Amino acid sequence: MDFSGLSSAEQAHVNKLVEKRQFQGFLTMYGKLVEKCFNTCCNDFTSKSLSSKEEQCVNNCAEKFMKHSERVSARFAEMNAEVMSGQKNVSG
Amino acid sequence: MASLFGGGGGSSNSGGLNQERLEMALTEMDTVTDLFNRMVSSCQNKCIARYAEGDLSKGETVCIDRCVAKYHEVYGKVGDKLKVRGEQQQR
Repeated sequence: MDFSGLSSAEQAHVNKLVEKRQFQGFLTMYGKLVEKCFNTCCNDFTSKSLSSKEEQCVNNCAEKFMKHSERVSARFAEMNAEVMSGQKNVSG
Repeated sequence: MASLFGGGGGSSNSGGLNQERLEMALTEMDTVTDLFNRMVSSCQNKCIARYAEGDLSKGETVCIDRCVAKYHEVYGKVGDKLKVRGEQQQR
């Protein structure tokens, strides 16, 4: 998105909107990740606290998710760059 | 998909904060974010079965790369279908 040419006040306004979106996105991701890790790791309800095994699973789950997400992000960016350069070649 | 990334529309003219342009850009951002999130979620479901360790295994890594490429391809194919249908309905 190209917002160059806007005044600094306008830039700040745009940044605020983008930040808000990103924060919302983070919270949604957080909620979904908790759901995923809970459903994957917690199957025993004979105790009210996490067992050491469950805790380990939750740690692994969260860590693995972040690595997974980073990898998808990198591939996704490559793919978009490819599509963009392809478009440029066609039009230019 | 590239039209979503400012390919279409005048990204060169920027006479102040055009509300319409801003809304378009935010919608675009939401769309891309949504696509990304769905991709992450789908590929996680397809490729990651165990949480016995915090690192991605070699197999999982390869699966993720292929999954993203495939997801992207499906995105294109479905888009093509919708486009054809849309063109037919316009006539």
